[in-house]
Amino acid sequence: MTHSVPNAGPVSSGQESSVQESSQKDSLVKTPVVVCRGVKRIYQQDSVPVHALRGVDLEIQEGEFVSLAGPSGSGKSTLLNSIGGLDGFDAGTVTVGGTDLGALNSAELAELRLHKIGFVFQAYNLIPVLSAQENVEFILQLQGVPSQQRRERATEALASLGLGDLAHRRPGELSGGQQQRVATARAIVTKPVLLLADEPTANLDSKTTSELLEVLQQLNQQQGMTIVTATHDPIVMGFTSRQVAMLDGEIHQDTGSTG
Amino acid sequence: MIRLAWRNLLRNRARTALTVGGIGFSVLLVSFAMSLQSGSYEIMIDSATGYFTGHGQISHRDFVDQPRLEHTVTNASNLQARLAQIDGLRVFPRAQAFAVVSLAGGVSEDSSAADPQTGDLQNYDPQSEPSSEKSLGGMVIGVDFSAERSYLDVYENVVAGKVPTEPGQALIGSAMARNLGAQIGDELIVLGSGKQGAVAAAIFVIAGIVETGQVELDRSLLLAPFAELADALYLEDEAHMLVLMVDDLSELTATASSVAELLPEALTVQTWQQLMPMIEQSIELDRAGAVLFYSLLLILVAFAVVNTFVMVLFERTREFGLFMALGMRPGQVIAQVQFEALLLSLLGVALGLLFAYPLITYLTGVGIPLDQMGGEEAIRQMQMGSMERIFPKISWSSVTTAPLVMIVGTQLAALVSTVRVRGIHPVTALRTE
Repeated sequence: MTHSVPNAGPVSSGQESSVQESSQKDSLVKTPVVVCRGVKRIYQQDSVPVHALRGVDLEIQEGEFVSLAGPSGSGKSTLLNSIGGLDGFDAGTVTVGGTDLGALNSAELAELRLHKIGFVFQAYNLIPVLSAQENVEFILQLQGVPSQQRRERATEALASLGLGDLAHRRPGELSGGQQQRVATARAIVTKPVLLLADEPTANLDSKTTSELLEVLQQLNQQQGMTIVTATHDPIVMGFTSRQVAMLDGEIHQDTGSTG
Repeated sequence: MIRLAWRNLLRNRARTALTVGGIGFSVLLVSFAMSLQSGSYEIMIDSATGYFTGHGQISHRDFVDQPRLEHTVTNASNLQARLAQIDGLRVFPRAQAFAVVSLAGGVSEDSSAADPQTGDLQNYDPQSEPSSEKSLGGMVIGVDFSAERSYLDVYENVVAGKVPTEPGQALIGSAMARNLGAQIGDELIVLGSGKQGAVAAAIFVIAGIVETGQVELDRSLLLAPFAELADALYLEDEAHMLVLMVDDLSELTATASSVAELLPEALTVQTWQQLMPMIEQSIELDRAGAVLFYSLLLILVAFAVVNTFVMVLFERTREFGLFMALGMRPGQVIAQVQFEALLLSLLGVALGLLFAYPLITYLTGVGIPLDQMGGEEAIRQMQMGSMERIFPKISWSSVTTAPLVMIVGTQLAALVSTVRVRGIHPVTALRTE
């Protein structure tokens, strides 16, 4: 499977300038996109408290590609959901793009997710009755983008992920890898400040896993998109620039911790 | 939104078809039943009011409670002329009085005592009447035969003779004629009190015998020319009532308001609802029964819709969680599903009207034979007199009530389920299979 954004191979002149811009950004003082301070999350499971997060401190800078790794129950998805405003937390603070999530109500959190955060889920979660193009346009429609602009941006996003020819197919007519790329197109079409991916390759074979990770890596390297992915797959970790290992609701190891 | 709603409806075509079919059938049934009801009410009202009472009556305020001779409509001809200016309104003057009615057996045909053609009693000699042993109390009503016969059905029930066309002629109730032993061409002497208490007397020749079907009326009714009876009662350009007939019954209320504006303080206008409250009550009772039936039907359909959307919620919890994860608010998700419910109900309504409208329109033209609805018993129960067919009446309310109720009902029924979207947590929903 091929797509328009190549891997770490030779780059075109346009891409060269993007890389240069990225390098220039690296030389500047980076802005933290995500800041977690003492984040705690306690679930009640059969009346027994489960400490999913035990005071997590984490800072993610703009343009980083971070993997949150760890076994099941380590708290990586819980942390990802807290950062994405999908799930609350019981103590501490989480700020995304300078916005304190703890201070937002559910409607404001929904607004934040719509405009600032892109999500890629393990199970793709595409709307089955809409085509690939319509799935990507859907989120733009929620943002109130005019139809002509919606169409152009969705077409562009799908093309950038090598799905130009499959735009009119429905999810059921696409392979798992293709569906996940459509989900990625949907996540990036709004140009979010943060892309969150929760086990995005868990349902994919190794070939499509690599293809998807190449796409994410290029988004990170060429567009400077900040990406945080939860995973327990070493292949995924290998593609990220920073690995944060979690265990029992705490950060066990961080290869590039700045926090 | 429309595309998503439409495609979601097509997800489970069998279920959508069943729900749409249920709504459509209800719309068809209720619209047809309401049109049939509307038509039957109109027939009932027309039959009752068009028989003799009229769609409305103007009378002196006191005449309503005390129908005494002196409670009259004054300047009757002038008022009648002014009322005739109102579009679609016909006005007929009437006078009425209780009197003793006898056969003028002692009056010879060549007697100059009374002119049997004119009923003029100026030369009438009371000493010469009556020779008949029988005198009966009767209700003598002065009417304008030539004007009324075109609009009121009582004149179609003349079983012998004809409707009077000449002065001095009268119509007599069949039982009264029988009791008096009177025949067509016989003279009747009417004796009563005039307006000022003087003796009022008149003589009429029987031109026809009418059988109203109401025994009490047939036993006491005598219809005489208005002008002659008014003269005999010493009424001076007065009438006891002005009977109103409108071309379009649905315009009656508006017409009655226009009429009321022209009336002096002493007079009042009553519509058939006040004149014949039993008819109104009977219609209201029937309507209440119908509303109960429609409500039951709606509840049944509502259950089907609730079931549909309970299933929708169950099957699409994950999708709703996704919507919310992407940034939709619960209210927006509910609005999306409610829109699907709206589309569903619109499809059902369209389907129902597609069948209902042509069916009702067709039957409005050809009618439904009453013998197919239970024959004479049905006719009697429906108080439709001699009607042989019932004609449904298509109206704005008969074709919009059911659709509107179905649309609103579907929205409410769907809301019972969709409101639970508020309880969906995106993270939990996304984990559901």
